[in-house]
Amino acid sequence: MNHDSIIRQPLVVGGKTPTDVTADITRPILNKPTTAWRVGFVISFIFLLLLVWTIGYTVWTGIGVWNINKSVMWGWDITNFVFWVGIGHAGTLISAILLLFRQKWRMSINRSAEAMTIFAVMCAAIFPVFHMGRVWVGYWALPLPNSFGSLWANFQSPLLWDVFAISTYFSVSLLFWYLGLIPDIATIRDKTKTKLSRFWYRFFSMGWTGSTRTWARYEVVSLILAGLSTPLVLSVHTIVSTDFATSLVPGWHTTIFPPYFVAGAIFSGFGMVLTLLIVVRKVMNYENYITIGHLEAMAKVVMLTGTMVGMAYITEFFVAWYSGVEYEQYAFANRMSGPYWWAYWSMMFCNLVSPQVFWFRWARTTPWFIFMISIVVNVGMWFERFVIIVTSLHRDYLPSSWVMYTASWTEIGIFLGTFGLFFTCFFLFSKYLPVINMSELKTILKNRE
Amino acid sequence: MGIIDKKVSLRNRGKLLLGVYEDEDQLMTAAKKLAGHGIPVLDVYTPYPIHGLDRIIGVKRTNLTVIAFLCGLTGFSLATLMIWYMNVHDWPMIVGNKPLVFATSWIPVMFESTVLCTAFGMAFFFFWRNRLAHGIQPELLDDRQTDDRMIVVVEAEHANADEVMSIYRSTGAVETRERVGGVQTTIK
Repeated sequence: MNHDSIIRQPLVVGGKTPTDVTADITRPILNKPTTAWRVGFVISFIFLLLLVWTIGYTVWTGIGVWNINKSVMWGWDITNFVFWVGIGHAGTLISAILLLFRQKWRMSINRSAEAMTIFAVMCAAIFPVFHMGRVWVGYWALPLPNSFGSLWANFQSPLLWDVFAISTYFSVSLLFWYLGLIPDIATIRDKTKTKLSRFWYRFFSMGWTGSTRTWARYEVVSLILAGLSTPLVLSVHTIVSTDFATSLVPGWHTTIFPPYFVAGAIFSGFGMVLTLLIVVRKVMNYENYITIGHLEAMAKVVMLTGTMVGMAYITEFFVAWYSGVEYEQYAFANRMSGPYWWAYWSMMFCNLVSPQVFWFRWARTTPWFIFMISIVVNVGMWFERFVIIVTSLHRDYLPSSWVMYTASWTEIGIFLGTFGLFFTCFFLFSKYLPVINMSELKTILKNRE
Repeated sequence: MGIIDKKVSLRNRGKLLLGVYEDEDQLMTAAKKLAGHGIPVLDVYTPYPIHGLDRIIGVKRTNLTVIAFLCGLTGFSLATLMIWYMNVHDWPMIVGNKPLVFATSWIPVMFESTVLCTAFGMAFFFFWRNRLAHGIQPELLDDRQTDDRMIVVVEAEHANADEVMSIYRSTGAVETRERVGGVQTTIK
């Protein structure tokens, strides 16, 4: 199989000029929504209503409407929390780490990936908050004197670290995203015709004019924010992993968790970015901006991180055997061949085996095929969290406490509902804000590499 | 020194000489030529950042990095103080026989607080310095300056108008204009 190498594929094809970029990217914003958009939005909104209903039911009736029990106290709920937080990580990886590495292919995809980060973290936050049961006293998680006596929050607890990590991650990602949006919002402000939208875009553009003085400082701020976001994103999933790793539960008590969770987060996040962008580039006709080259680069990241995750699964297994600790050995044997064997093998297939197809060039450059694999990756990463949580908890040290766990319809409803929230936000974003960073993209049109 | 950079605003300016460009290479040539003739450029409005242009027109290196560091230090200190006050001073809590003071378990919260304060502190000063705030009326010279046009602005009081206009024309400006008291006229 031969492939003729050229110096470098252009990042934007079709001979686009800055004028074309503005026209193409602002088209969905300046025109009426298409039928596809309306249908998609309505479906998402129905699922969002499902979320409102199932959460309302949970709060009104009590946490007992979930099937979590004395042993499996973190069922679908924390599975979904880790699943969504993980998805969020690709956005920061693309915009921050690839910016530091001067990877210019990020420019077509960073905006939508960052939006995905923010919406995914919103979805994630729902789960621990409502898992508290009495959500109206949720502010006790903040560093306040407990019930306003003198006992404060415990800073030794990874659950409190999570409160700080997730809220910092959300707010800094939002700031980074908004800062990147300001020049583009100004572009829309100067294009839009109706009075109402002119008002709102003017409001959010903060009086941006494109002064070189401002641009010079803006680039410094972006770079520092990228430098901050990089350790931040690594810290967030590290801290999420310590929720498990600092406990003494067999299957959780492993030092490999932080790097393994971070690799898994990037893997699942890229899976979701691919799922979204393959649809976006088709429906919104952005094939010239999000090229096959972009998809191929992301497919390579999926393959690499998938292999890292697979390596972690096997390492975990080896260490459990090598440790000689009977409980650890049992926890892992039970994962593989116990009653939840199907979850374990789904995870192995989806995360370790399926991304290996990207060794083949055809697989990396065929959008419909990448789309299928990206869905498989999303499913696989959900199973990974399910396996870690449920198989470790359902059989503990005391065989008389062994139980099985299946989700109740409320838990399933909340999970499906978060997809409603995610896609409702994403549809609104794709209608009212530019999906591709215009001002950044215009800098690479001349393709001087 | 005030925080706001006075030069980012076009308010209360005298006569301005504007050169409108549609190509960044021509714009760079023009900026270099103006600098070579010792003509101070007030600002250049571009739809996207053009690397190196800021140095040519004499924009100084920003001090935002120092501010970012100070904000980070503040965030770090606040978090340390908070944890120490809550878990050591006011109500000592020994969990799992771990050390009470400067335990490694303090690090995550210290780190997150440092990042949070750096990011928001720096962004706040960036907005302030560049006179960016919600609801501010943009001072636009052209509807397309955020789309595909680039505009060089020279203050007439610091330069010879004919010289500036001839530089604009010789470097490929698509249009040359004069702006007096907010009103623009095209100069042929």
